[in-house]
Amino acid sequence: MKRGYSLILFFLLLFWCLGIFVEWLTKIDEHFVFVLPYLQITYSLVCHQEKNKLLFFDGAGTLTCARCTGIYLGLLFSSLLVLVKLPKNKFHINILLFAALPIIVDVLFTTLNIYIYSKLLAFSTGLLLGSIGFFYLYAGLNNLILELKR
Amino acid sequence: MKKYLAALICGFGAGVLQIVPFVKSFSCCMILPLAAFISLLLDQRATRNFGKIPMKKALLFGLFTGLFAALFGSVFELLITFITKNNDVIASFTDLQRIVQNLPLSEEIKKEVMNIFQSVREDILKNGFSILYTFSVILNNLIVNSIFGSVGGLVGAQIINSRLSNQSNGK
Repeated sequence: MKRGYSLILFFLLLFWCLGIFVEWLTKIDEHFVFVLPYLQITYSLVCHQEKNKLLFFDGAGTLTCARCTGIYLGLLFSSLLVLVKLPKNKFHINILLFAALPIIVDVLFTTLNIYIYSKLLAFSTGLLLGSIGFFYLYAGLNNLILELKR
Repeated sequence: MKKYLAALICGFGAGVLQIVPFVKSFSCCMILPLAAFISLLLDQRATRNFGKIPMKKALLFGLFTGLFAALFGSVFELLITFITKNNDVIASFTDLQRIVQNLPLSEEIKKEVMNIFQSVREDILKNGFSILYTFSVILNNLIVNSIFGSVGGLVGAQIINSRLSNQSNGK
């Protein structure tokens, strides 16, 4: 994939991730508060937004839960990596399954009350899946572009 | 239309999961990508074509799954709001009030934001309908669901194709 496409992908993910932290951004520019109600609806489509699972800092919270925030930041992190160095190797499907396993185990164990929900653990498991999952999305987009060029 | 029947079924399912109270609390960012992935699997079974999925087809299936989810999601959301004259916006009003009050904003901005939100709230409580709310629900559903559906389609096709490659390499 051309670096230009990777750059577009990176900026799209950057904007999406900035939206998650819009409450934090109001401290930089208070006009961001006008999009807060709208973005709350936007992110409610992709996250349950349970209050006790949001990440808080200095009174401002994220618009997605710790796990979803981890997934999106993982995607953003990998999109940045791809900008620096394009991946050459094909990723085996088992890697994605292994990356998803910690989330499945964490969700299962917290639901069954085997241990108490931890934001840090939820964030880390999301970050792992997001950063690995990006390479499958990247490969899919790459194949799509190649297919369209044919 | 028959060609995208699998996308219609999965889009309907995802749209409902995004709306129904209680079930909604289990929703996460994986619902739409999963729906798009399942629609590809369903289509394979329906057409009995278990070969590699072209990425263009995967993208279209994902996109249609997202669009159907947006259509059903928006209709159900607006219908439930119209009948019950209640929704998440009403429920989260006090929360938003608290958030805005806690943020380091000027009193003028706080007042302006709360006025906009208050007018939407009053419209919903009185008529079960608000133009601003309807517009944001439809726009949000269309954009977010179609993007997440497309992503699910592309990643789903990668998974299915990679599994086929592994099987043919194993033979």
